[in-house]
Amino acid sequence: MSNLKGKRIMIAKPGLDGHDIGAKIIALALRDAGAEVIYTGLRKTPGFIARVAVDEDVDAVGLSLLSGSHKELVAETMRELKALNASDIPVFVGGTIPAEDRAMLMDAGVVGIFTAEMRLDDVVSELARKLSPEQAA
Amino acid sequence: MNSVGDGLERELKRLDRRALGRALSRIANASVAEALAGMQGTSRGAYRIGITGPPGAGKSTLIGRFARKRLDGGAQVAVVAIDPSSPLTHGAILGDRIRMDHIADDPRLFIRSLASRSASDGLADNIADVLATLDGYPFDEVILETVGVGQAEHAVRSLVDTLVLVLIPESGDQIQAMKAGMLEMADIYVINKADLPGADKIAREIRAVLKLRQHLDASWVPPVIMTTAADNDGLAALNEAVSQHHAFLRNNRNADEVQRRRLEYHLKSLVMRSVAEILAKESNSATEPLHVAYARVVAGLGKE
Repeated sequence: MSNLKGKRIMIAKPGLDGHDIGAKIIALALRDAGAEVIYTGLRKTPGFIARVAVDEDVDAVGLSLLSGSHKELVAETMRELKALNASDIPVFVGGTIPAEDRAMLMDAGVVGIFTAEMRLDDVVSELARKLSPEQAA
Repeated sequence: MNSVGDGLERELKRLDRRALGRALSRIANASVAEALAGMQGTSRGAYRIGITGPPGAGKSTLIGRFARKRLDGGAQVAVVAIDPSSPLTHGAILGDRIRMDHIADDPRLFIRSLASRSASDGLADNIADVLATLDGYPFDEVILETVGVGQAEHAVRSLVDTLVLVLIPESGDQIQAMKAGMLEMADIYVINKADLPGADKIAREIRAVLKLRQHLDASWVPPVIMTTAADNDGLAALNEAVSQHHAFLRNNRNADEVQRRRLEYHLKSLVMRSVAEILAKESNSATEPLHVAYARVVAGLGKE
């Protein structure tokens, strides 16, 4: 259950998406799995997201993306993290990600891609596995 | 800005926020033993402003605007905002900064969100150490936001220099309950959302309570300030009142007494966590006499 206990996870929405129900559902699911979730609201820039991730020293950054510009926004967020000496903070992605873009995002270095058709339990357990490989059951 | 301020600003530009972020995580996650081992001596301390009040009073939004004001006044500011942890799952939504960011999105501002974890006094585990760590960085002021509190969670008083209690017109009934608790503690009172009905009434009630208190300490008369989301006069009045209280403290405070109270809080919070750690390891039997269980826990403390 509480397999994310003590983890600090940021859920962020870069770009111009107009709604954040999915991001909030994920935030609540992570909280219920024991995580401390920092949610930053709609329409944040990659630079802002990276700065908050560093100040809050999160264990992972989750980007919720519905707008179709996931390639650019993921790449830019990772560049900004790198500029702040924080490229070791894992980035995962959720939202509307077409199957044909998955490989490209994984190549870019994201640790996981979670789309709307996945069960929340599976999202939580896969994320827990990525963040603490040693305690994976 | 004076030359000291200029020097600090240059220092802050060089501030390695990655290192600071990590240092705060380390201390926030430290066990009691680790916290004791890592204890530093007191260094140049930032001026600490505590903001407390019931849930929904608008503390975070007010802090966002207030922090902006302090930054514009030339101070280097850090905000530490605490949200409650679930006692069941230990999870937390740290949502304070969402209310601050859209007002105070400013790279100069350092905001750190903390979950209360096992603390039930309106603060967070290791908060004394977190604040001590920030003292080692070039911040002029640290604003500490407690979780939404009721009448009894006044531990923050020991840790801050200036305590601001934020109430709203709907807090009317809470005033009755708070008369013997939070209401005695604050240096500055804010009636937020003062455009709602009942603001004048609650301000009157607070002033009446404060009058009764004045014979205790006539040297500082706590102001009661009305603020609304849209109005900048109230915010300016709050900013001014905080600065006045800061100046007042410079001339009217026994530093040893402040230090003693902070140490006492620190000690108590570490002992309480040790107790919590022992209780978490115990499997209490329902039939064991209370005095036996008590003696065992106290003996366990001796071994820590």
